[in-house]
Amino acid sequence: MSAQAHPESINVKLHLWRQAGPEDPGSFEKVELKDISTHMSFLEMIDVANEQILEGGGVAVCFDHDCREGICGMCSMVINGQVHGPEPGVTTCQLHMRSFADGDEIYVEPFRASGFPIVRDLVVDRSALDKIVMAGGYISVNTGSPQDANSMLVPKDKADLAMDAAACIGCGACVAACPNAAAMLFTGAKVSQLALLPQGQPERASRVLGMVDTMDSLGFGNCTNEYECMAACPKEIDVSNIARMNREYLRSSIGSAEGV
Amino acid sequence: MLSWLTRTARSSIGRKAVVALTGLALIGFLVVHLAGNMTFFADSDGATFDAYADTIGNNPLLPLAEIGLVVLFLVHMGLAVRLTLENKKARSKGYMVSKAHGGRTPGSRTMIFTGVIVLLFVILHLAHFRLQKGDDVSMASLVRFELSRPLGAGAYVVGLLALGLHLSHGFQSSLQTLGLNHPKYTPLVKVLGYGLAGLLTVGFLLFPLTIFFGGNS
Amino acid sequence: MTNFDSKCPTGPIEDRWTKHKFDLPLVNPANRRKFTVIVVGSGLAGSAAAASLGEMGYNVLNFCIQDSPRRAHSIAAQGGINAAKNYRNDGDSVHRLFYDTVKGGDFRARESNVYRLAEVSNNIIDQAAAQGVPFAREYGGLLDNRSFGGAQVSRTFYARGQTGQQLLLGAYSALMRQVSAGTVRMFPRREMVDLAVIDGQARGIVVRNLITGEYERYAADAVLLCTGGYGNVFYLSTNAKACNVTAAWRAHRRGAYFANPCFTQIHPTCIPVSGDYQSKLTLMSESLRNDGRVWVPKQAGDSRKPSEIPEQERDYYLERRYPSFGNLAPRDVASRAAKVECDAGQGVGPTGQAVFLDFRDAIARDGKPVIEAKYGNLFQMYEMITGTNPYEVPMMIYPAVHYTMGGLWVDYNLESSIPGLFVLGEANFSDHGANRLGASALMQGLADGYFVAPSTVTVQIAGRKREAVTTEHEVFAAIEHEARERNTKILGVRGSRSATDIHRELGKIMWEKVGMGRNATGLAEAAKEISALREVFWNDVHVSGDPNHLNPGLEHAARLADFLELGEFFALDALHRNESCGGHFREEYQTSEGEAQRNDEEFSYAAAWEFQGVGQKPTLHKEDLSFEYVKLATRSYK
Repeated sequence: MSAQAHPESINVKLHLWRQAGPEDPGSFEKVELKDISTHMSFLEMIDVANEQILEGGGVAVCFDHDCREGICGMCSMVINGQVHGPEPGVTTCQLHMRSFADGDEIYVEPFRASGFPIVRDLVVDRSALDKIVMAGGYISVNTGSPQDANSMLVPKDKADLAMDAAACIGCGACVAACPNAAAMLFTGAKVSQLALLPQGQPERASRVLGMVDTMDSLGFGNCTNEYECMAACPKEIDVSNIARMNREYLRSSIGSAEGV
Repeated sequence: MLSWLTRTARSSIGRKAVVALTGLALIGFLVVHLAGNMTFFADSDGATFDAYADTIGNNPLLPLAEIGLVVLFLVHMGLAVRLTLENKKARSKGYMVSKAHGGRTPGSRTMIFTGVIVLLFVILHLAHFRLQKGDDVSMASLVRFELSRPLGAGAYVVGLLALGLHLSHGFQSSLQTLGLNHPKYTPLVKVLGYGLAGLLTVGFLLFPLTIFFGGNS
Repeated sequence: MTNFDSKCPTGPIEDRWTKHKFDLPLVNPANRRKFTVIVVGSGLAGSAAAASLGEMGYNVLNFCIQDSPRRAHSIAAQGGINAAKNYRNDGDSVHRLFYDTVKGGDFRARESNVYRLAEVSNNIIDQAAAQGVPFAREYGGLLDNRSFGGAQVSRTFYARGQTGQQLLLGAYSALMRQVSAGTVRMFPRREMVDLAVIDGQARGIVVRNLITGEYERYAADAVLLCTGGYGNVFYLSTNAKACNVTAAWRAHRRGAYFANPCFTQIHPTCIPVSGDYQSKLTLMSESLRNDGRVWVPKQAGDSRKPSEIPEQERDYYLERRYPSFGNLAPRDVASRAAKVECDAGQGVGPTGQAVFLDFRDAIARDGKPVIEAKYGNLFQMYEMITGTNPYEVPMMIYPAVHYTMGGLWVDYNLESSIPGLFVLGEANFSDHGANRLGASALMQGLADGYFVAPSTVTVQIAGRKREAVTTEHEVFAAIEHEARERNTKILGVRGSRSATDIHRELGKIMWEKVGMGRNATGLAEAAKEISALREVFWNDVHVSGDPNHLNPGLEHAARLADFLELGEFFALDALHRNESCGGHFREEYQTSEGEAQRNDEEFSYAAAWEFQGVGQKPTLHKEDLSFEYVKLATRSYK
């Protein structure tokens, strides 16, 4: 990336998805932008586009964003068919215009999944992910006086694997990129994090059963092991977490007394 | 009493696991089938092959095994079709611009299509060698007859290539679905999956190709 | 108007919190469900409080502006969280953490609060570990620690570079458990637009549903504001775009005192501004200064490549000015030093507003693999943003607004000057004085949310009489009407300037005149300019779309309207504080060596301001600060 020389600014033709509400069919709005600095982030480029739309008397495009440093999981765009754009391991807000060339046509679409209904323009409703967590993505411990933190040993390799899974920012890129709009990487990551840790053992079986059943009920598809999710994931969460969830699920549904 | 079982069988992961298990069982069948078929090349008059076919044909347990295979096949197909329909529904409106950049392969993309082709192929195959075969014809000569016709050989080539493509994704995918993912073994499984798919395809392809191009010698 | 009641307990400092908890009224567990508590915000303080109150049995309503409570900006904290566990056997203790925090805050925090913070710090780690927060571990399975700025002990717990994320997800999971259990009702994409004060008590809020544009009213027995800081008054800061002062400012307008707004932390190691389009600033972890050397060329305007500038023509100004701390000088000191160099024309980069952070010597000494193992992720992030490779070219950094120590005034119970209104986390002013030490924001948010507020809300719930109130009450109708009118007015201007444009101008005034170096002339000018800009806003802002659907432009403009009131007030507070301390540096009050000069005689107090109307001078209430346990001393890092 650094070795290449980039032009300081480029012109791009932007096609922004506009949709007034869930029932509206929606269409692309074309915005031509001149002299876009290649140091801009993708969202800053959208900001510029919005300013231009405002100046032309139009209505600014709605898009989700917040921290603009790749951790809140709010930004959610599909750029030229790729969730979070062409660079691996980044969110849309971390994508910069130096990844594009002068004259590029850029199509920006919302995440498309039946589990994520469109709210407006590029904004979708991802509350389904909260519902999956509500179904067991926690350890039942009340605020109070748990034992001293060091009284429970966690092997470093397990802690590291749990952290790899816990790095999920809940953006839903996995769902958006999945050919089947499945939420298995998201769910698998949370199941894995807690199944790997000793703290998670008491509720290990009920957790995975509850979370998977809820996930199934929310209109997500089924994993066909094509790993588009992992490629789109800004935190590069591994699909071995899906395998672990599958294992945990079968172990809990068939191999445990849970859910009799 | 068995609510846990129905719950599992209705869940995404439970159904996927059944598809994976039936798929693996069918792969097992293919391996045995190919091994047996290889007797075809043991001698030039097909005596060994005919003897092998007769042994199987006269086995009183054959209908049971056949029913088992049919059940495996139907369950595998039925669930796969249902899962695929659900998957389509989960993305009711597709992207205007779409570009895969992950692990999608020609095999993984086409599972449902290659599956349908394999189904048609299996029907054809059964029609040729199971349902129509009279007692007076030897299996080896029947095979030669069917596969020396351009249409017959062509159908087999297409069917087997579809099967190979199906297995190129199916084998490794089954193990992932069953939760068998391991940093040491998963890379090997991937290679093994392609190897197995290639081996089975090439193995079975020997029949239409050698017969069609080898004449009636 | 001096010294009003902070309700701090007396007696030995180590017994105060225990004693105070015993003196607080209690609510019978079976009765708790009859009481409704509103929690606004879902960051560390908000989600911890909502979850804990839900677990206790209260009927909790939790509001957040994002689509999910997990997205609150606490998620972005990188470094770690302090606790006085003394797992390292290096002499740490509750008292030492208390001492470091009071001193680090440049003696402008309340001792009793800080001690309590240090005391409950250990419970936070236990709580988080029990929730499954994947803290870094040693090979033996015990928790790992690292050291952090401003302390000489290793007391910082961390989860890679995502400690805030992991702690927030821990609190979020506890919250989701309560939502599932039905004790907490979650209201995402709601923005609090006003506070209902009825019979002198905070009894509810009005929110705008950001999806439908509808106004919704909620009544309660107590209201907890956990709405974060106001750093975005500078437009550019390390805060998330949606971080805003509106909830706190609305409460302030309804009578809650706002304390020490001028105490704002400027973090020294951020990626510099690259152009006018810049929408936010990205923090690079402070840990980089362990191995990177900060320098500028000696010759102003030197346009050579950094690698071509020979050693003798480089000024390693932190090492020169602070030989004993060198590149590890505290945040406020390092930030100011960078400003001094850039103001003198030594700054580098296209804008001249940056200094080098150079790893050349560390790479030569330890080898690239060692540096990569320590900072690989950060180097990658830097390269992703700037497009240059920091292994080959020195990083360029510049200070940026990061955290606000000031906030709504609260007493020891975290209750504001409006009875029934509690303020937690960064939104209050209480624990960090004039400067916050690294790894203590997470600590305070969680301490307030898990351990303090759930105990102290009983002063309102059980301790005071009040009438039953419904949302039909006339106060609700009045404030809803007001909020609706305000947005209608904003939309109706249809002027020529976007909210972003005006916000950028506000930020420029704030940064130049109310930023790292302040003086009386500049502050007075700033107050005037902001007041004028407020007029521009109300006469010339342009917001597109309608009020009755998702309209981020309207949300931004409404928040900006409050920032435009806060900005002027901020400048006035900075103007009134005739001393330099912590994050507040008044150029008139410095030593001959250019260091901050505190004035304990006249300014050893928290300035709690009472709102008197827009553009009117607020009334000052002084809470005198006394230091019984940590002796007043000048901080020196020479």
